[in-house]
Amino acid sequence: MSFVPVITGLGFVTSIGHDSASVLRSLRELRHGFAPVEFLGNPDLPVKVAGTLKGFSFPTPNWRDWSWPEAFHVDRELLRGLAPHGVYAVCALQQALAGAGLDAASLADGTTGLFCASAGSPFMLHTFLNQLHETRGERGNPMGIVASIAGTLNFNLAAHYRITGAVCGFVSACASSSHALGYATDEIRLGRQQRMLVVGAEDLTAESIVSFSSLRALSHNPDPATSSRPFDRRRDGFVGTGGAVALVVEEATVARKRGAHVYAEIAGWGQAGDGFSVAVSHPQGAGLRAAMRRTLADARVEAAEVDYVNAHATSTVAGDRSEALALQAVFTAAGAKPRISSTKALTGHGLSLAGVMEAGFCALALDRGFIPGAAHLEEIDPCCAGLDLPRTSLDEAPRLVLNNSSGFGGSNVCHLLRKSA
Amino acid sequence: MKPSLLAPVAVPTVRDSSLRHLPADAQDAFRRFQAGGDPAGLDPVLFAILADFMPRRPEAPLAGLPGSTQLIADLGFDSLAITEVVFFTEDLFGISISNEEIVRVRSLADLRSFIRQKVAPPTGR
Repeated sequence: MSFVPVITGLGFVTSIGHDSASVLRSLRELRHGFAPVEFLGNPDLPVKVAGTLKGFSFPTPNWRDWSWPEAFHVDRELLRGLAPHGVYAVCALQQALAGAGLDAASLADGTTGLFCASAGSPFMLHTFLNQLHETRGERGNPMGIVASIAGTLNFNLAAHYRITGAVCGFVSACASSSHALGYATDEIRLGRQQRMLVVGAEDLTAESIVSFSSLRALSHNPDPATSSRPFDRRRDGFVGTGGAVALVVEEATVARKRGAHVYAEIAGWGQAGDGFSVAVSHPQGAGLRAAMRRTLADARVEAAEVDYVNAHATSTVAGDRSEALALQAVFTAAGAKPRISSTKALTGHGLSLAGVMEAGFCALALDRGFIPGAAHLEEIDPCCAGLDLPRTSLDEAPRLVLNNSSGFGGSNVCHLLRKSA
Repeated sequence: MKPSLLAPVAVPTVRDSSLRHLPADAQDAFRRFQAGGDPAGLDPVLFAILADFMPRRPEAPLAGLPGSTQLIADLGFDSLAITEVVFFTEDLFGISISNEEIVRVRSLADLRSFIRQKVAPPTGR
């Protein structure tokens, strides 16, 4: 007997919208979610744009000062152990569960698991450790650890929703939530769980974003309309964002039995390491190339059958080039020409959040029958020769969609999503 | 308008970060106590601290509850929230509370008398 994982719930707290309808509109109309920001109160910093989370505010590390849009409810009991990205995650998961027609009480019987991904909260950790140092170890917020370290999402959400199935956090930098979704897929396929909640989230703070300035990975372009332009010859780095996306993944028979709407089937996934550098992608995209091929093999799909690729491309000079070469090796060399775009042109790069955010976008594209365009692309980099990068979103209904993610250390993870039958 | 969430923040002390969240009557009561007032006037401060750290928002004003009300069984406190109250209270009043003392405080009346005794000026000759 085979178990087929399908996506039945989507929740978005992103720079391009806090619900499926607004995200869909942004993707179709290529509306970006960027705004000018001043990190660390320093007008001299060259990083001037971020993918902001409208209606959310975290002016201090004290939860009593935090606010979020009225549409969401965050329990006080839960709030004390959360980081800012935990608040985003709670809001995204509420949406996903409501959309999937699930109430919280139905999650506690052991058939539902929870896989999460975030880098933890450098913002909260910095505060917690500073207090520890300043008081020479005599004081510390009792919730400081669970609100700040990597794992904070699964600690909080598993306890709050009384999850008694599989619970785990994944840490592979910008491939983290793709790993979470991949292993959640396996939990369903192996018959271990009937349902998996997959949540990716990141803070949007100076501690999370400006740290990448040391790597020279961030765009210095102050114009929100062009600062993130994957595959463009003039790209100069990524634009940071935070937020959260939650997916409900269920076994198809279970989902059908309860009449759930199915956005997409997860047809397969794969991963491969670059075996090359701690921080730089392989110059020929070797790991990503292997991850795409393993994903196609896992799904028993030929390259020519793929209609759309949501690229990882973050708008960095080296990373986009590596991915372009990997795409050429997998698709162009096989005579295939899928549509390709990176939605990070609209959202910014959500780090650990990116993989599951873009899987959510792919599920919307399959469900609603469109292909997101390659926003802000004016001068295609010559390294992208032979790739089909549509400048506008297309009213074409894809049947098979590939989603790429790559993280530090050369972790590459891909998913193949299929239109629901 | 640039969002302020990205501005640097000073690491707050417990008193700085939380006293301003307490109701005005509690802040006034604390200032009166600081100015040499009677520890018996501290009830509004204690109730405000408890309400601020309770895992669930109190359904009724704590001041109206009987002294026998249990912190854990009746008000829903857990060990983490009690630890938060202890740290806050220690910093606010400049006192030290041991783990042995914490476990003896179970009700509102216990807490009230414990704090009054802790913050009272020494009476020895």
